[in-house]
Amino acid sequence: MYLHEHDAKELLARYGVPVPAGCIVGMDAALPEVLPSAGPWVVKGQISAGGRGKAGIIKKVATREELDAGVRSILGRVVKGRCVERVRVEACVESSAELYIGLLLDAEAGGVRVIVSLRGGMEIEEVPATEIRSEVVRLDTIAIADCVVRLAMGYAPAAAQALREAGAQLANAFVAAELRLIEINPLFLRADGSWVAGDAKVVADEGALERQPALRTLVEAQAAHYVESAVKLEHGFDYVVVDPVGEIGLLTTGAGLSMMLIDELRANNLKPYNFLDVRTGGFRGDPTRLVNVLKWISAGPKVRIVLVNIFAGITDLGEFSRLLVEAMGRVPGFKLPVVARLAGNGLAAAREVFAGAGIALYTDLDEAVAEVRRRLEVA
Amino acid sequence: MLPRIDGSTKVIVTGITGRAGRQHSRIMREYGTNIVGGVSPKAEVREVDGVPVFVNAVEAVRATGAVACVALVGAMQLLDAVKDAVAAGIKLLVTPTEGMPVHDAVEALELTRAAGVLWIGASTPGMAVPGAAKLGFLPHDSLLPGPLGLMSKSGTLSYEAGYRLAQAGIGQSVWVGVGGDPVKGTRYAELVPFYAQDERTEGLLIIGEIGGHEEEDFARVLIEQRFNKPVFALIAGRSAPEGVTMGHAGALVHGNHGSFEAKRAALTAAGVTVFASLGELVAGVRARL
Repeated sequence: MYLHEHDAKELLARYGVPVPAGCIVGMDAALPEVLPSAGPWVVKGQISAGGRGKAGIIKKVATREELDAGVRSILGRVVKGRCVERVRVEACVESSAELYIGLLLDAEAGGVRVIVSLRGGMEIEEVPATEIRSEVVRLDTIAIADCVVRLAMGYAPAAAQALREAGAQLANAFVAAELRLIEINPLFLRADGSWVAGDAKVVADEGALERQPALRTLVEAQAAHYVESAVKLEHGFDYVVVDPVGEIGLLTTGAGLSMMLIDELRANNLKPYNFLDVRTGGFRGDPTRLVNVLKWISAGPKVRIVLVNIFAGITDLGEFSRLLVEAMGRVPGFKLPVVARLAGNGLAAAREVFAGAGIALYTDLDEAVAEVRRRLEVA
Repeated sequence: MLPRIDGSTKVIVTGITGRAGRQHSRIMREYGTNIVGGVSPKAEVREVDGVPVFVNAVEAVRATGAVACVALVGAMQLLDAVKDAVAAGIKLLVTPTEGMPVHDAVEALELTRAAGVLWIGASTPGMAVPGAAKLGFLPHDSLLPGPLGLMSKSGTLSYEAGYRLAQAGIGQSVWVGVGGDPVKGTRYAELVPFYAQDERTEGLLIIGEIGGHEEEDFARVLIEQRFNKPVFALIAGRSAPEGVTMGHAGALVHGNHGSFEAKRAALTAAGVTVFASLGELVAGVRARL
């Protein structure tokens, strides 16, 4: 779960990390009566992706008029397939240097990779390797903080001090909030030796939400901005709109197979609307998940057809098909055509159920996709 | 290294009294897996379908001599199940559970590595030696004894690929679902030496997806170890949006990190044939094996 910068900063501030004064502005573009500073400001579009500066959704503004205009020009922009629905307005920071500090879980080593550099402000991949100091340590608050102290040795005193302070605070946050990644880039160092987190990138662990009340509350309160995490938390499965103007609603199970189907549809100039790993194993005889999914898919403005793809390892397809037909009946006004591809246990029973409901059934995925194409072309 | 698994390998199931534990123990036994015991802290249940149930893995191993363990417990109980299996001296541990907290996975990895336990998972359908035994959920329709080593991050995509390959007459030597979590017990690269020396294996297929750099690490190890059997790859998620976790916790692209193109480039440079679709995969593998 990739946090918006605003939420990342609020989280880190709780662990003592200094951040510039800032406020959040929603789609109504209404600025608060009391602004974070007298100006100048930075207006920063909030999306769960990097490269925001290059995409033009971060702007420096000096006057109140520029601020209003900047906020309005960034809100509603679509970057990397995501609509900017809120901006953070932040006090501009005067700095004498821009540093970098990052902590990320190193999956191969099974520890935390600690990275520091005096060359912050750019993508860490673009910083020459000789300008980066990095080490992997145990996932442990003291081990991480000590590592930052070691890595910062030999840096100018003010830079080393700032990194040490940041290291201790970030180590606490990383372990206590069970994070997968924290990156402060740039870390603004001021002439007086004080410092502040210019940007903050935090990736949290969806699997830990159950025992991380602060993050859980964030997802629930900001469900509109963390749609996928909120769905997973509330409903127990994964659903992602991959193309708001997609034409094919997908009713699929399995992350890898669903991703692959989207890739193949797109490669064949078809437009899938969503990714779905509905986890048929979690139905337990209840069609609620399917009712929800069919409602969400029907809400897609351009969706014209539903493609079902279930490769049943263990799932009984007879039961699945009955639940699907029941779910279709429970969605008011549902009349999208449905093309299904099923393989596995209970196929014969499913064939009977689908025949009664007028659902085209295939056992070969390529044939089912060809039928979807044919229907889209005819319509 | 992967210990030899066949129908005589003694296996225990942690969580055997649960819904999934009971169901999959039965299905695994039908396939030929030698399940000699179960583990459940509930003292009142001491037997499931004729399999004796013990209060912990230590007791189960002491009584049965089991060397392998399949843990079918909830995500929040999984770390405890790993600790129990490690304490019992299990050599091979398979954990299908989805949604294990990542920091728990780091601790489990430290423990299993220190103890020399081969841990497969989490978030995996498990593994199988087709025709002999399976540890986990792999569907029987997709399993066929044959020459292709198979490793996969994704369950369903591997079921589909395995099924289509089996329909085309190409079966598997040893199938390992490495799983879709970012931090996990076994990664592709670690099994390269196993597949290199395994006589049954004539070619190797990895089914990967966006996120992390496991495919890149695998490519590097193929070159370092001069792996000389044909290697194929299918990578899902090339059109996935950035910053969103696509079902698997590991399937997350941010910036260039974990992108499809980075993986394809690294694999191609290591001599791996990378396919863009399931149809091409079947035709391509059949042409080479």
